[in-house]
Amino acid sequence: METRVAGVPEDEESGLLPRPSAAGRRPSSRGPRFPPPPAAWATVDGPLGLPLEDAEGHARRFFLWGFACLPFLWAINCCYFWPVIRSPAASSPSTFAPIRPYVVRSAIGFTIFSVVLITWATTFIVGGEQLFGPVWNDLVMYNVADKLGITGFMG
Amino acid sequence: MADAAAAAAVPGDAPGGTTVLDSLGEDITRIVYPVSACMLLVVLLVSLLSSPSSPSPLSASIAAATGGVSGGGDDDIPTALITALTFVVAVTAATFLLALLFYLRCTPCLRAYLGFSALAVLLVLGGQVALLLLSRLRFPLDAVSFALLLPNAAGALALAALAPASVPIALHQAALVAIAVLTAFWFTLLPEWTTWALLVAMAIYDLAAVLLPGGPLRVLLELAIQRNEEIPALVYEARPVDPRHGRNWRLWREGRQPGADLDDSSTVEVIGEVLGRNLQANSGNSSSSQVHEAATLAGDVSNSRPRVTLVAALSSSDSTVAQVGEVSALQEHRVAVAEMSVPLIQPRPQRSGEEVVEDEDGIGLSSSGAIKLGLGDFIFYSVLVGRAAMYDYMTVYACYLAIIAGLGITLLLLAFFRKALPALPVSIALGIVFYVLTRTLLEEFVVQCSTKLLMF
Repeated sequence: METRVAGVPEDEESGLLPRPSAAGRRPSSRGPRFPPPPAAWATVDGPLGLPLEDAEGHARRFFLWGFACLPFLWAINCCYFWPVIRSPAASSPSTFAPIRPYVVRSAIGFTIFSVVLITWATTFIVGGEQLFGPVWNDLVMYNVADKLGITGFMG
Repeated sequence: MADAAAAAAVPGDAPGGTTVLDSLGEDITRIVYPVSACMLLVVLLVSLLSSPSSPSPLSASIAAATGGVSGGGDDDIPTALITALTFVVAVTAATFLLALLFYLRCTPCLRAYLGFSALAVLLVLGGQVALLLLSRLRFPLDAVSFALLLPNAAGALALAALAPASVPIALHQAALVAIAVLTAFWFTLLPEWTTWALLVAMAIYDLAAVLLPGGPLRVLLELAIQRNEEIPALVYEARPVDPRHGRNWRLWREGRQPGADLDDSSTVEVIGEVLGRNLQANSGNSSSSQVHEAATLAGDVSNSRPRVTLVAALSSSDSTVAQVGEVSALQEHRVAVAEMSVPLIQPRPQRSGEEVVEDEDGIGLSSSGAIKLGLGDFIFYSVLVGRAAMYDYMTVYACYLAIIAGLGITLLLLAFFRKALPALPVSIALGIVFYVLTRTLLEEFVVQCSTKLLMF
């Protein structure tokens, strides 16, 4: 398991683990002999999130499923693996390397999708009838809903 | 590790140590925030969207279906009582059905049902609410974008609600709150007397189902305790205050190289220590080492909402055995047991909390020690506050404070009794009392003061 990062000083864990007691007999004083926790957690939830060995499969799955007209999965991918994106490519820990391409591509995909959608929606809202003509009234959602009668369901 | 040793030294110690006091306030805050957010959103939606004068087609259909005493759609007490009674009967039947399915170990059925109901709520109710908002606010969103965004958002939120492991915790919690908001808003569309009758009936049902020996929730909870399993359900779990409970931490501990770190004597010592503590804890006060877990299943969004509460008390020894089984595949069996058991068992006795199950009143502790609250409680609290919002904002403030006070009282009772307790009755009772008092007494007082230019 690649959950340890070599060379990280023991002070890393001072905030999370209590100082090991000086008693040498008790097995719980084996604290100093354990390597510290990974210096960087891959997910935004830190120790509560996905373990590193599951992270690559997860990132890949979300990236591929995003192509099924589900761009919000790409957004979730980026948000979840935010530490992976934030760490600059040169100095990121080696454990991030398999995850990084999927997350970066998800970010690119979601950016493209949101730019296209916002452009289209803004054009529609701002252009109004002057740009589109009478078709505008047929495309506005509240008219469509009235025509189809679906707002009447809830009263 | 040092405080694992400290805890091991006093195994039967009451969990009133510094750890509980340090983190209990944070725990309670982390459960009050989402409840408040849910209520706030429902109040906003109700203020924006509802027209209290016109009876909704929904109420007319319910009255027609139950063969209302007077003509369909009338909002009177007998119709309300009949509707509420029908609902409670339907929920009881559905809960027994869920208990049966759980008994027969049909977990895929339960998960599929859960997924279907979450997706249906988000897609249908979410779409309805979105359309109502667009119509009311006259926001000129086009049909193409709407058709693209709605299934996307519904799918992403449903995934977030059902698979908490694959999404950020914040998104998972937000998805659960969204489902609760939509369902609560749907419930506020019922006519007034029906809503109040429904709230009272559900509070009484929760009380009976969780506390009576034959109650469906209690049966389900005992099944889960017996089997040491968790029921698949939509339960809101607060983020654990202590990050050491996280899965990553446990796996990191598993993955450490054994051998050089522990010698045989220390391993045996640790195991002996852990088992000894388990035995002492089990024979002594049982409450200190028990964790209650409650899970509730989400009901479907039509008239019947099955409410299942499950409280599973895991004894320390059981959890040790479970973890041993889990890590037996790792390199060094004994070392893994020693590593896994000590940090995981230690924090649990220090936590006291309630389990809240969706639709069920029950506050409990999850396996990570955080407080769990079921979505049903979110929903019915928000229904009460939403119905209060239909009258005036004064009743909203009063009912909100009453509900939060009721939640606090329930938490205290749970810490005291240390078993599954329903979270609805106290809050609903206080909420109704305060609604009535505000509407009859306080409003009169405030109006008189304002018109006489005395204060406010």
